[in-house]
Amino acid sequence: MSLVALLIIAFGGALLTYLLGKTSDKVRDSFAVVVSLALVAIVACLYGKSPEKTFYSGFLGLGLVLRLNMLSWFFAIAISSLGTLCTIFSLSYMKGRERTDFYYLMMLVINAAMLGIVLAGDLVSLYIFWEIMSWSTFLLISYNKGPALAAGMKYIIMSIIGSLSFLVGMLSLYTSYGTLSISGVSAAISSASSGYILFILIIFSIAFGIKNAILPFHTWLPDAHSEAPAPFSAVLSGILIKMGTYGFLVLLYVIMGLKLFLGLGHGLLSFHSILCFLGAVTILIPTFIAMFQTDAKRLLAWSTVGQAGYVILGIAFGTNLALAGGIFHFFNHAMFKALLFLAVGAVEFRTQTRDLDSLGGLAKKMPVVFIATLVGICALIGVPLTSGFVSKWLIYKTLILGGSPFLAFFALAGTWGTILYSYKLVHNVFLGQLPEKYNDLQKSPASMQLPVIVLSLAILLFGIFPGIPLKVINTIGTSFGLETLNVTLWGIASETGTLNTINIFSGLLVAAVLSWLLFHLGAKSVSVPQEDSYAAGAHTPADKYHYTTEFYNPLYRMIKPFLRDVIDEFYYWIASSVRSLAGSVRRIYSGDVGYYVMYIILFSAVLIFVQMRWKIW
Amino acid sequence: MVVKIIQIILSPILALVVGVFFLGLARKIMARIHWRYGPPLIQPVIDMIKLFCQKSVSHGRMFDLGIILSLAGSIVVVLFLPFGRICPLSGSGGLLAILYIMLLAPLSMALSGGQGANPNISIGISRKLILSLGYEVPLLLVLLAVMTRYKTISIMEVVSAQQSTNWSIISLPLFLSGVSYLLILPAILGLRPFDVSSAPQEISSGPMAEYGGKYLALATIEHAFVLFISIALFVNLFLGGAANPAIFFVKMLVVFVLGLCVNAVFPRFRIEQAIKYLWKWPTLLAFLGLIITLIVK
Repeated sequence: MSLVALLIIAFGGALLTYLLGKTSDKVRDSFAVVVSLALVAIVACLYGKSPEKTFYSGFLGLGLVLRLNMLSWFFAIAISSLGTLCTIFSLSYMKGRERTDFYYLMMLVINAAMLGIVLAGDLVSLYIFWEIMSWSTFLLISYNKGPALAAGMKYIIMSIIGSLSFLVGMLSLYTSYGTLSISGVSAAISSASSGYILFILIIFSIAFGIKNAILPFHTWLPDAHSEAPAPFSAVLSGILIKMGTYGFLVLLYVIMGLKLFLGLGHGLLSFHSILCFLGAVTILIPTFIAMFQTDAKRLLAWSTVGQAGYVILGIAFGTNLALAGGIFHFFNHAMFKALLFLAVGAVEFRTQTRDLDSLGGLAKKMPVVFIATLVGICALIGVPLTSGFVSKWLIYKTLILGGSPFLAFFALAGTWGTILYSYKLVHNVFLGQLPEKYNDLQKSPASMQLPVIVLSLAILLFGIFPGIPLKVINTIGTSFGLETLNVTLWGIASETGTLNTINIFSGLLVAAVLSWLLFHLGAKSVSVPQEDSYAAGAHTPADKYHYTTEFYNPLYRMIKPFLRDVIDEFYYWIASSVRSLAGSVRRIYSGDVGYYVMYIILFSAVLIFVQMRWKIW
Repeated sequence: MVVKIIQIILSPILALVVGVFFLGLARKIMARIHWRYGPPLIQPVIDMIKLFCQKSVSHGRMFDLGIILSLAGSIVVVLFLPFGRICPLSGSGGLLAILYIMLLAPLSMALSGGQGANPNISIGISRKLILSLGYEVPLLLVLLAVMTRYKTISIMEVVSAQQSTNWSIISLPLFLSGVSYLLILPAILGLRPFDVSSAPQEISSGPMAEYGGKYLALATIEHAFVLFISIALFVNLFLGGAANPAIFFVKMLVVFVLGLCVNAVFPRFRIEQAIKYLWKWPTLLAFLGLIITLIVK
């Protein structure tokens, strides 16, 4: 099946879904699922093939090209499968809401646009799909109105800055080389001066960095992620911001090539080390901010900023292990962050709140969602036997052996911060006492359980058999001209330290069975209701006896002064200065014709005066 | 193959015996410092058998599962740690993997406690997590210095490198890191100035508040393993490991008794004070140690 047909199905399916919604909700729902499933199937069938097609050549004499390679296939399969799962989740989440037709249309259009981005073989078509994605994202972020409108506005303003930057870079490349196909630019740029290369790198890094939310371009993300509808937050965090990652990969490894990119500058002042440093800072600071959030989705949003830092760090470090770790971590993040957003969405769907201070004890009411969340946070932390462990291990190892222990320290310390906020999430929502008002809460609907089950199984599968995705990633690395990794099904074999997940898995399995036996040897335990807890002789209140508010207060008191989002405040300062400047400019335009006549006369008088005095013209 | 299997079976048992012995010894030494006679050395074993036979309460599946998983997590870590020359599962990810597997036990314990639905537990866990963030900062710097120094992530190689040259703690670049590790060891073991998370007088033993009977017994066993693991890690990384288990044990004993002396005479920190301490001197030393390691190379 050709790539053009794939995109036609994607965009056409979206439109058709919208039209079907006018007749019947049920037909629309099932059609949306069918379209997204069909996309998964088509992309899966394209594995290993590398078709290329110029589908339009009338634009400034530039051909618009679609092409497929291993990198874009890997992204495409992630996009389409995650899109499918989130669409399935939406079935019950969006039921009974208004403008659902529009919601599905946008959801599928974004999906299609992202597929377009990764399939695009030239910068013009990349830019077109990029813009379609940005604008439809804006519409979906603001879907809920209210505070969501402000969040969407913040997003689209930053996004436009990114797009303009992209456009400037593209125009510059076109005037210099007369071509905009990725392969053409890549061939031409190797002879460019290092100043020009730096300019191109920076200008595109702004575009991709804003989408990927690396510091200091992260400020749109926490608002946008927390205000969007839950299934779309999952897409947004899981895959959409990773289009920035894709951009970086294409920019650094395909267009520039490893040699050009690593050779720019000297020592700590090179583009490569500054990007690494930005990645490391992006890991650390948002992690500490996430710890003190009380809105579950906002917590996850800050965590997304932090995890994207690992991906950027891996890609920017530029060794084969780091690149593999970075790409694998993108894939993992897509899985576990989508899973967590969906889980929080499922909780919100039943309880109508995502306030971490007022939930609690839901493990007994939503066991499936609870277990899935558990798997999700384990992957987020990087507990062995989840896929998150493998990708982080790869990044740490290459950072340490590559002689950058301080970068490794940032990354590792970020992980220990991650434990704090992940535990807070799972504790405040699922553990502790169940408030009385949730006593007859119903289980989550099946269409919400299915996606989270699939995602948690995938996380475990790729955690125990990391060789499956690593094989594909290895091919990507090799196509970038990096050394081949010695990938086995259980991990990576190398002289400087082998990873073997099956050892850990079997060890843990045996140890768990032993401990279980020991547990059952002891005297039996009686199950008691939650109120029957030890309070050192004090009275136990019946309703809220669950400590969640200000969970990490002692730490918060200590580091509060360092946690201001200075960058966000700076942007707001710019915005308000521009507004006041515009306000004073507007006074000139009073709307009174008399004033305008006066301006014209005054201006002519000045011109005449200048001419008489200095005789310029 | 057969040797390997025997090692796999033997090393957790050995670790358990050493850990439980340390628990008994701790009570004895503490008592002597306090001018008391103290219980017999095998008191922890007697307590455990008693606890196993007692009835207990359960607060749900996660409550049970958490305690089982945390014990399992600790046992697995032992398999990755060299004890003398015995290391049943070396070459499965090295120090980095150990660091991460060491997470399993406290995390499962926290999840189990969380379902206990008791505010004292929640406060205890929140303190424990903050404290561990506190000591992980210097600890990670120390471990990074060791890995950078020996250019490997495998503990076995760190041990053999020390046997051919010198113990890390008396070699120049790693001296400061070693001192820093010693300074945070009481925090890792949760010994007094740093027993903020259990704090029996304030929050009724924190995470242990709801445990009784076999839960308490399993938690004690887990604690014995943690004692073993943290001290064994120090001995392996800084005191050159050992050629045979006996010498290894003696080295561990010295380190442990040193830690106990601190424990016996200091009053408890508040959590803020603990973090301030941990992020000041140990972190500074560890930081300097890492920089020196980078310069010397």
